[in-house]
Order: sequence, then C-alpha cells, then structure tokens
Amino acid sequence: MNQEKILEVNDLDIKFELRGKTLHAIRGISLDLYKGEILAIVGESGSGKSVFTKSFMGLLERNGYVDGGSAVYSGAEDRENVELTAVKREKDWLKIRGHEIAMIMQDPMTSLSPLKTIGVQIMEAVLLHQKVGHSEAKKRTLKYLMDVGIQDPEKRFDQYPHEFSGGMRQRVVIAIAIACNPQILICDEPTTALDVTIQAQILDLIKELRHKYRLSVILITHDLGVVANIADRVAVMYAGDIVEIGTCEDIFYDARHPYTWALLSSLPQVGVKGTDLFSIPGTPPNLYTEIKGDAFAPRNPQALKIDFVKRPPYFEVSPTHKAKTWLLDPRAPKVDPPPVVSKIRNGGLL
Amino acid sequence: MLKYLGKRIARSFLTLIIILTAVFCLLRLMPIEGYFQNFDKMTPQQIQVGLKEMGLTDPLPVQVIRFFKDLLQGDLGVSRIYRSNVPVSDILKDKVPVSVKLGVWSMALSLLVGLPMGALMARYKYRWFDKIGTLFIVCIQAVPAAVYFLYIQLYGTKLMGVGLLFQINDPKYWVLPVLSMSLGNIAFYGMWLRRYMVDESNKDYVKLAKAKGMSEGGVMFKHIFRNAFVPLAQYIPTAFLNTVIGSIYIESLYSIPGMGGLLVTVIKKHDNTMVQGIVLLYACVGVLGLLLGDLLMVLLDPRISLGKKEGDR
Repeated sequence: MNQEKILEVNDLDIKFELRGKTLHAIRGISLDLYKGEILAIVGESGSGKSVFTKSFMGLLERNGYVDGGSAVYSGAEDRENVELTAVKREKDWLKIRGHEIAMIMQDPMTSLSPLKTIGVQIMEAVLLHQKVGHSEAKKRTLKYLMDVGIQDPEKRFDQYPHEFSGGMRQRVVIAIAIACNPQILICDEPTTALDVTIQAQILDLIKELRHKYRLSVILITHDLGVVANIADRVAVMYAGDIVEIGTCEDIFYDARHPYTWALLSSLPQVGVKGTDLFSIPGTPPNLYTEIKGDAFAPRNPQALKIDFVKRPPYFEVSPTHKAKTWLLDPRAPKVDPPPVVSKIRNGGLL
Repeated sequence: MLKYLGKRIARSFLTLIIILTAVFCLLRLMPIEGYFQNFDKMTPQQIQVGLKEMGLTDPLPVQVIRFFKDLLQGDLGVSRIYRSNVPVSDILKDKVPVSVKLGVWSMALSLLVGLPMGALMARYKYRWFDKIGTLFIVCIQAVPAAVYFLYIQLYGTKLMGVGLLFQINDPKYWVLPVLSMSLGNIAFYGMWLRRYMVDESNKDYVKLAKAKGMSEGGVMFKHIFRNAFVPLAQYIPTAFLNTVIGSIYIESLYSIPGMGGLLVTVIKKHDNTMVQGIVLLYACVGVLGLLLGDLLMVLLDPRISLGKKEGDR
C-alpha cells in the first residue's frame, strides 16, 4: 500500500490514575492512518477505543495521561508534523482540535447545546477555524447544512436542537465537525444511538462527505455490520491493544486472531434456526493488573501454553494484514477457526 | 404566548382575591378585645358602638364586598391603631420606597458578585479560587446571619466613619446594610451557579464544543454558563422581590425606616386595615415573582413554551 500516512501511532501507552491505582487502558498500540481512508476500530465496551482516539485531541479525562510511545500527525498543510503526545498546553491543542482533527460523538440527543440555534452552533465552528466574516460564515453554514442533507436550511438555521429528530441532530453534529474543516474525522460510535434505517443514512452520509471533503475517517464501533458497510480497513481492539488489523476482506474472510473469530462467531447468522447465538465466555481482563501473555488467552478455549506466558508480536499475514497471535508462528500447531468463520470464508454469509 | 400570559395574569388575580378574602375572614375571627386599649373598663354599649364604627357589626359577606369595592377605588382604608386615622396607603408610601431601594441595591450587588464568583469557581474547580470561595460560602451558610451582621455593624461603622443613626440621604449609610443583606445571596448564587456549571461541564455538548476547538474559557462562557443559568433564573425574581419586602433584622439593626417587621407589628396591634394592606402588597409581590420567574425561563430556554399544553408536541 503506497498511500500517504496522515497519522502514525507507535507503541502508545495510556494510563489512568484512579483512587491510587493505575489503570493501563492502552497497552502499546501501533497504528497508521492513511489519507482518505475509513479505518474502523471495533472492540467491546471498555477495550479502549474511545480513549485511544481521544488522546489525539487532548481530550482525555484529567486523570489520564500518555505514558509512552508516539503519535505523529502529518496532515497539516501549512506546518510541520506534530508529535501529538508532546502537546501539553491548552493553547497548542486548540490548533489541533477541530482544526486538524474533528470528532463526532455517540449520542446526538445530548451533543448539542439545547439553548442555541443549530445555525449558531455550526457557525461557531466556521468562525473558529475559517478566517471569514460573519455573513460569509452564515453562507457557508447554510451550505454545510445542505451538504449533510438538511432540507430548507434557511429555516432550519434558526431552529433549536429540540426541534430536530435524532438522525437530523446527528447530521447537524456532522455539519459542525465538517465546518471545522479538519483533515481527520473521528466518529465515535456515530450510529449507536440511532435506529437502523437512520444508521444506514448516516453511514452513507459519512462515506459521501469523506470524498467531498477529502477526510480520513476513524470510525469507532462495536457493530460489525456497520464495519462491513463502510470501512476500508478494520482494526480489532481487545483490552487496550489492536490484536488484528487488515482490510475489510482480510478481517471478514481471512481472520486469524482467536478474538476476531469469536467476534465473528457471535454475529447472528441468517438461515440458522434453533441454535443459541454464540457468546464469548468470561470477561475482559482487569486492566489494573499487569497482563501476562495474550490478553485473550483466559477466554480462549484453544489457547496455547505460550499464550499465558509471552505476549505475541505482530505476525504479518499479507502486506495489509497482521495479527498478534502465536497461532501464526511457524512452530504453532494448526488450529482451525470455528465453523461459522470457515463458513463465512467459504460461502460468504455476510 | 400572549394568550398564555393573559390566562396566567387572570389566574394571578384570582389568587390574590382568594388570599385577601381568606385573610379578611381570618382576621374577623380574632377576639375583639384587641381592638380596644381599655377593653376591661368599657361597657357593652361602648364596645358595640366602637365595633360599629369600625364596620365590624355587619354580616361578613357585606364587609368583604365593601372591602373589595374600596380596594377597586384604590382605597386601602385607614389605619386605626398603628397610626390613628392615617390612610394605610400613606403609611406604606413612606416605607416601601426605602425597602425597595435597599432591596434593589442588595440584589444588584449579589448578582454582580455572586454570579461571577460561581462562574470562576467552576472554571477553576479545586484551585485556590474555588477553595477560597467555598470557604466563604460555608462560613456564610454556617454562621448565623445575626452574628456577622453585628460584626459588620460594629467594625463597619468605624471603618466607614458613619454614625449608628441612619441618615437616609447619605449614600455612605447605605453601604453596610446593603452589604449585609447581600452576603447571604452572594453565597447562594455562587454556590448554585458553581454547582450547575460543574454539572453542565460534564455533558456531551460541552465535549463536542471542546472537540470543535473552542477554548475552555469560550466553552464556559458561551455554552456552560447559559445552560447553568436557566435553573437559577427561575428564582431570581422571587428572591429579588423577597429582598424588596425588607429584612426585619437589618432594618432594625440600622434603624432604617423601611417596612421590614411591619406586618408582625400591625398584627400584634390588631390593626386590621394595615394587615390587609400589607398582605395585599406581599401577595402581589409573591404572585408577580412567580410569574416573572416563569417568563424569564421562557426567554432563556427555547425548549419551554408556555403556550402549549402538556404532551402537545
């Protein structure tokens, strides 16, 4: 893949101090984001998806801090690459937030200030990041409203959030993010709070805007259906680490990590009747204690002995596809993926 | 909106009428001894004549209707005992402006100091400003007002170089009473604004505002403050009008000729017309305060529309 990188994360560690204990939320993640792609990060609740992306914007909670590694942002046109982990002052973050990296939150019902018209809220972003006057800002705001698919923007401009439905509000939130004119758009579970028909519309909108505004998108989700729909590449996250990363096809049709297998197995299958839906046994590991070996091993019935002793490195499956599992080591015994995964592989049940 | 307002005002009038009628009837249940200073020595005839003079021998409904008729003509009646034969409105005319002036100044001071204090405390949460503010609030809330009122008077009068006797036309003499009256409200506004702002600052829209690159001060001022102010706004008119009614303690401490404590005095003295007049004033103030509070909420929060019925969306 000879695409240009816009964000390069290496061995990033994030920790939280909670009541005298240290929570190791992100355990040495390395990840590249390429220009113009949609990268999906999937994982269960508490795997650190949000924390990981928030750290790019300096939006970690007060007790959280980066404890090592680097995250280099190279998308700025008019300035040098920025080492995001070294940005400390609020003033410097303001040059990144919105301006370079913008974010869409999960719940559109609470993401907008109830007391201001949506026009004003979008315009705030325009005025902050585009050097234009008031009337031009309004003109652009109306255009953004059109772009995100809101009819009759002139009238909508002066309406308050409570006069919009959930899906419409999410469109407004997206308009705010776009109005910042960013390079990277982080979508933190943008469709979780919406009903299914609206979800599809919002995903289409994100796809469309990505081309129109040349955005690189990081999409956080726990919904594999969403991923299959929209993502170019998928990163599977477990216990603060990315255990497998590859193109959409790599992950769905050629998954290698037992955790990815487990995730795929727990997808509801069409045409399968009378059998219980698969669920992964056990609970995610306690991040307060140090994790030895493969974090998923205790929940993996086919775990190898080495999984409990040594943390696996990345093994490359193909130039686009790598996974952190000892199964890929040449010396490992052959372990077959669960039947559902093989089925997907062969017949394409998705 | 206008329709709602009309309805609301009509209802306020109804409330006033009910309050006045109830108070009027209750006053008539009081023992008649109180109307006369030397009741023990009076003959039954004298008592009857006295009562008749005051119009107390007529049937109750007739009295009530007469009262409201007079009221409509702007006649509050004549004080009999508190100040013999002086119209009630004249007595109040002298006293009300003094209390109002005291109230307006103290309210202005509490808002001008209390709100910025609360906002800054929220902005610099857990930093030194917040800690000092909290200390101040705790002291004001925990120490009985009477105690620090006394200290303010004791040291304040020396510091300001003013005498103990209140001079109504000298602005210097207003400083200490206004300050004393404000302290409690400053603490109140500071405490609640801080609390509401801290609550708001954890909400999603604040995170989005930050994520779009707004500075922390900008978010505080443009988003958090407005949202935090809404629940507080409702109480401001009532609090304001309560202050205007006057403070018994402060007015007596500085011997300010306001109307604080007047109601208690005239009830004790059995001066029915005075009681009626003051109750009317207080009731108006209360009803008006609630109405203004609701209107202020509507102005500040677009989600609240008073015109519509519940569930009518």
